[in-house]
Amino acid sequence: MSIVVLDPTLAYQPPAARLAPRLPEIAGRTIALLDNGKKNVAPFLDAVEALLRERYGAGEIIRARKPNQNAPAPPELIAALAHADAALSAVGD
Amino acid sequence: MAIATELHARRYEVDDALAANELFQRNGWTDGLPIVPPTPELVGAALEWLGLAPDEIVGIEPVRGIAITAEVVAINAVMAGCLPSFVPVVAAAIAAMCEEPYLLHGSSASTGGSAPLIIVNGPIRQEIGMHASHNALANGSRANATIGRAVRLLLINALGCRPGTLDQSTLGHPGKYTYCLAEDEEHSPWTPLAQERGIPAGTSAVTVLAAEAPRQIMNEWTEDPEELLETYAAEIRANMLHYSIWPGNYVIVIPKQHRDILAAAGWGKRAVREYLYRRARVRRGDWHAAGKSAIARRGDPAQEYAAFETPDDALIVAAGGPAGGFGAIIPPWLGNRGRAVTRAIGACVEC
Repeated sequence: MSIVVLDPTLAYQPPAARLAPRLPEIAGRTIALLDNGKKNVAPFLDAVEALLRERYGAGEIIRARKPNQNAPAPPELIAALAHADAALSAVGD
Repeated sequence: MAIATELHARRYEVDDALAANELFQRNGWTDGLPIVPPTPELVGAALEWLGLAPDEIVGIEPVRGIAITAEVVAINAVMAGCLPSFVPVVAAAIAAMCEEPYLLHGSSASTGGSAPLIIVNGPIRQEIGMHASHNALANGSRANATIGRAVRLLLINALGCRPGTLDQSTLGHPGKYTYCLAEDEEHSPWTPLAQERGIPAGTSAVTVLAAEAPRQIMNEWTEDPEELLETYAAEIRANMLHYSIWPGNYVIVIPKQHRDILAAAGWGKRAVREYLYRRARVRRGDWHAAGKSAIARRGDPAQEYAAFETPDDALIVAAGGPAGGFGAIIPPWLGNRGRAVTRAIGACVEC
C-alpha cells in the first residue's frame, strides 16, 4: 500500500524576470559597478575596474554604492545606472 | 475531498510514511528532523481550516517577488506536524514576515544568522493548546513547536533559504528549528503585546521579528523594580557591545516572579519600557573592553548609543514558569534593519 505526498517547494512561479542578453564585447562600453556597502567590496571592485579598463578596454566605468547592505538597491540608484550597457553587483563582507 | 483535486504541487508516490521522510531528507526538504508526510488529504484538511483556496496568496516576498500560496503554506505546516487549527497562525506569521519592515530576504540571507521569532496573543493560544508558562521558550506544546517549525520549513522549501546558498548564516542558532512564544495573558496584569501594538482586545494576533537567540538573565535578590530591571538593561548593554550596538526592537521576556515584583510596585509595561529606554545605553569607548578597539577609536569615546530610539521599541512579553527569577532579552538581528510586525490572525483589522 503506497501513499502520495506533495512537493513542499514552490515549483510554479509567475515569470518575474528574464536574463538580459550577454554583451558581445566590453570594449568601449559603459559598465556600472555596484558596491554592496560592506568593507571589502571597494578594493575588489578597484581591481575589477582596472581589469575592465586594461584588459578589456571598457569605456566609462560608473561606481555606485548601496546605502543599505541588507536591502536591495533603491530605485533611484538603479535608475541612475540604467543607461549603462552592463552592471556588475559585488558582495563583500 | 474537493480541495485535494485542486492542489498544484507535484505528487510523489512512496511506500509509506518512513519512505516519504527518507525522500524528503534526500531532497533537502527538511530541517534534518523527521517530517509528517504531506498527503493531499492532510494538506486539504489544513486548507479547509485556513479557509483559503490552494492558489490564494498568503504573502509576497518583496525582494524576489515570490508569491507564497496557501497550498505551499499548508504543505510545510503539515510537514512540521501542525494540526489544521494551527495553520491560520502559520499563515498570519508568513504574511507578516512578507511585509517590508520585517526584511525577510535580508534577514534570512544574512551572515548574522537570525531566526523568525513568532509571538502569539489572543484567544487562539488557548484554543490550540499553546503554552506560555513553564519552559515558555522551549518545548511543552505541540502548537508552539510545530508553528515555529512550519515557518522555518517554508523558508527552506518555498524561499530556498538553505545553508551555504541563500542562507549565509555563519552560526545561526537553535531558534532556527522553531521559535514560537505565547504570551501568558491569563497570569499577567499587563496589556498583551499585540493589543499595545494596535490589535483590538480579544482578537488573536502574531508579532514577528527576525531575532537572535535569547540572552537569559537571573535576579532573585531584590524586590526593587529598578534594581530588577537593571539586570535586563545590563544584558542589553552587553549585547550592544558584544554583538550589535544598533537600536531596534528588543523582546523582553518577563516571568511571573519578576512580574509580581514589578506589579506590586505599581509598574506596568510602560514603566518597564521607559526604564529600559533610559538605562540601555553605552558609550563608544566601552567597546575597548570588548575587544573592539579598532572601531572604538574611530570616534568620540564619550558618544552615547541607545538600544531604543523610543520606549515603544521595547516589546515586553509576559511569559515563563511561576517560579524562578529568570528573564530574557531577545535582540533583533541587526538594529532597525528588520522591524517587528504585528498582524491579526484570520481577520482584517484595517479593512
